[in-house]
Amino acid sequence: MLKRNSTRFGRTLAGIVLSTVLIGAVEAGEYNISVDPVEIDAGTFTRAGIGYNGASPGPVLRFKEGEDVTINVTNNLAESTSIHWHGLILPFRQDGVPGISYDGIGPGETFTYRFPIVQSGTYWFHSHTGFQEPDGAYGAIVIEPKGREPYRYNREYVVQLTDAHPHSGHRIMRNLKMKADYYNRKQRTVFDFLHDSEKMGFDAAMADRKAWGDMRMTPTDIEDLQGFTPLINGKSAGQNWTGLFKPGERIRLRFINSSAMSYFDIRIPGLKMTVVQADGNDVRPVPVDEFRIAVAETYDVIVRPMEDKAYTVFAESMGRTAFGRGTLAPREGMTAAVPEMREPPLLTMADMGMAHEGMDHGAVAMPEGSHKMPDGSTMKGMEHSSKDGMTHKMPNGSTMKGMDHAAHGSMTKQADPFYAAGSGLLPSAADGGKFLSYADLKAQKPLYKHRAATREIELRLTGNMERYIWSINGVKYADAEPLRLRYGERVRFKFVNETMMTHPMHLHGMWSIVDNGSGKWNPVKHVVSVAPGTTLYMETEVDAPGQWAFHCHLSYHADSGMFRKVVVEGGPKAEGS
Amino acid sequence: MYTTTHKFAGVALAAIVAVASINLQHAMAAGQHGGGHGHANDKPQGHSSDGHMMGGMMKGGHGHAFEFGEAGQAADVTREIEITMRDNLFDPESISVKAGETVRFKITNKGEFLHEFGLGTAAMHAEHQKQMATMMEHGMIEPDRINHKMMKMDHGAGGMKGMMMSHDDPNSILLEPGKSGEIIWKFTKPMDLEFACNVPGHYESGMMGPLKVK
Repeated sequence: MLKRNSTRFGRTLAGIVLSTVLIGAVEAGEYNISVDPVEIDAGTFTRAGIGYNGASPGPVLRFKEGEDVTINVTNNLAESTSIHWHGLILPFRQDGVPGISYDGIGPGETFTYRFPIVQSGTYWFHSHTGFQEPDGAYGAIVIEPKGREPYRYNREYVVQLTDAHPHSGHRIMRNLKMKADYYNRKQRTVFDFLHDSEKMGFDAAMADRKAWGDMRMTPTDIEDLQGFTPLINGKSAGQNWTGLFKPGERIRLRFINSSAMSYFDIRIPGLKMTVVQADGNDVRPVPVDEFRIAVAETYDVIVRPMEDKAYTVFAESMGRTAFGRGTLAPREGMTAAVPEMREPPLLTMADMGMAHEGMDHGAVAMPEGSHKMPDGSTMKGMEHSSKDGMTHKMPNGSTMKGMDHAAHGSMTKQADPFYAAGSGLLPSAADGGKFLSYADLKAQKPLYKHRAATREIELRLTGNMERYIWSINGVKYADAEPLRLRYGERVRFKFVNETMMTHPMHLHGMWSIVDNGSGKWNPVKHVVSVAPGTTLYMETEVDAPGQWAFHCHLSYHADSGMFRKVVVEGGPKAEGS
Repeated sequence: MYTTTHKFAGVALAAIVAVASINLQHAMAAGQHGGGHGHANDKPQGHSSDGHMMGGMMKGGHGHAFEFGEAGQAADVTREIEITMRDNLFDPESISVKAGETVRFKITNKGEFLHEFGLGTAAMHAEHQKQMATMMEHGMIEPDRINHKMMKMDHGAGGMKGMMMSHDDPNSILLEPGKSGEIIWKFTKPMDLEFACNVPGHYESGMMGPLKVK
């Protein structure tokens, strides 16, 4: 039996120790993970939490494509637990979701997972029980590919982010249920209102206010959980995680966002980052200056610092309420300047997904129901128009006439088709240059043959912010029938985000092919982030029998109902079914 | 090692900016023509006035010469090096030659995407990457093909009528998937160079290697 206690620190490729044993032609590795009560030191606070092998974050599990893994998970907690292998393609009984894959792992019990590793890239694992993941139960997975990768690097680091909160997950959920804006410290004041009145006139300001009131949301509802401390590999900005390099080396950074609730905008001032992988799948390399990582996504980038100096890895939360910081340096102890956080964005009426009288949306003649992409291609996936004009169900149940998204003149070069035109969330690179968009992601080697979808399923992302209920098609998980898919079909999911929050949707067991207008080169992901006021399409080849979870990866949204069970009917008999 | 390169690059860069900003017209050598200069007939080629991709490297109007060498003659070839391009990497990963040597590089693109094999200093490649990014933006090159029609179009903007962009230099070859071609190059003096693919994102993700001239 081999026990792997990999550190979070990178090693040169030559330094990777392969602790696997050969059985016949197939490699097989055995791994032991204990689930332990730990103390989390977030710099700004310490608290009791949950970790793996005595630490949070847990170890970096290093697998090899083609390997058969055996993982013994021992639960040392006084409560039940589980481990979900996020993004891994495996038999559904091994997927680790209590109530769907299995019963979970009771206190004192050891559960043995066994599955083949059929992919490569950067992934992660976490508890799928209660709020254990926000409480610290997460770790990283790195899978070495069978063949050569389409890029080269001298050194690699896992860069795993989280949004550590001084309150336990259960307490946070209680508080949110009691008062949805409990953790919103960015609420607007009467002074903001007076300022708006000056700028837009009293009536306009009043109307704007009323519209927000009707939505039961506020323009600052970007992060409904604030007061967290971002950690990079378990270290706060002050604790400063540092990755060492020699000038001229190419470094692969495996970014993983293991946050419960927080998106991050990431940049390394002075370095161009070349994105080579998204959600474990290689993409055609895209050099960028900054990128946004949704909750549960992974992005692998390659950087090449040429100078003998330190560089700051800067991760601002999307709502600009906190930042994480790490350092790349030639020697331990070196630091670089830490940028100021930018002004917090405010949501706009566009993020409500509706027209607002008096606002000029600059309608220009465009073909009905199509958005021209910056590269001139037509973006079917962003089709917002429907036969009878679009209506949005408001969180409070009222219906509002929507704006015609097909008649937008604001699709400029800087615009990102994955945000509503005029969205307050539209990111731009802090130091100028290129900000990554989903539109830039193109599969390096498509996993599936491109074909037309056999069926479309509409999933409206819905919620009642005031009661902190999040749902799909207006129905929360507890009241919903499972979503039934048939083995062999290719389903086109239409996500219509009717809320004002951004939802990272995660389908277990099968890949999510994002329609970004690239046809056969559409990127293959496991998390698809749907911005407010937008419609996004993804397609799934239904090739995994059994039953799976499908949910928003924001922990408190998933728990309060934005969750579905998916049942795949037919196909080869699922293991254990 | 980098010190040398940078000192050299500083001088080179200034010259490149001057030339490249006035005239982005390059000579043409689309590699699918088996190492020939397929488009060379379309327009004058090889003179200092038509602004090579790395035109800044030219010395005092002697059109074919670069700081690190010049286009070689087939008769002078003393050595052949086979280069395989894949997605997105080179085999071999490094090259070593001797000053004074004339080398025939036989290059095959075994990948599914467009790749370049170019010889130059790190600074020259950095400059060429900007041009390749522009060519990609303008649709002159696509991820897996050269758009010959677009290549011939006038990409001049504003007062830059008649500005053409193309991809041809004696020290560089652009190959579509499955195609092969060659470059004959005479290395004149010892220095540290790089061979590189400057298709957007490729150099940055590691499709480059050191080329040592001893």
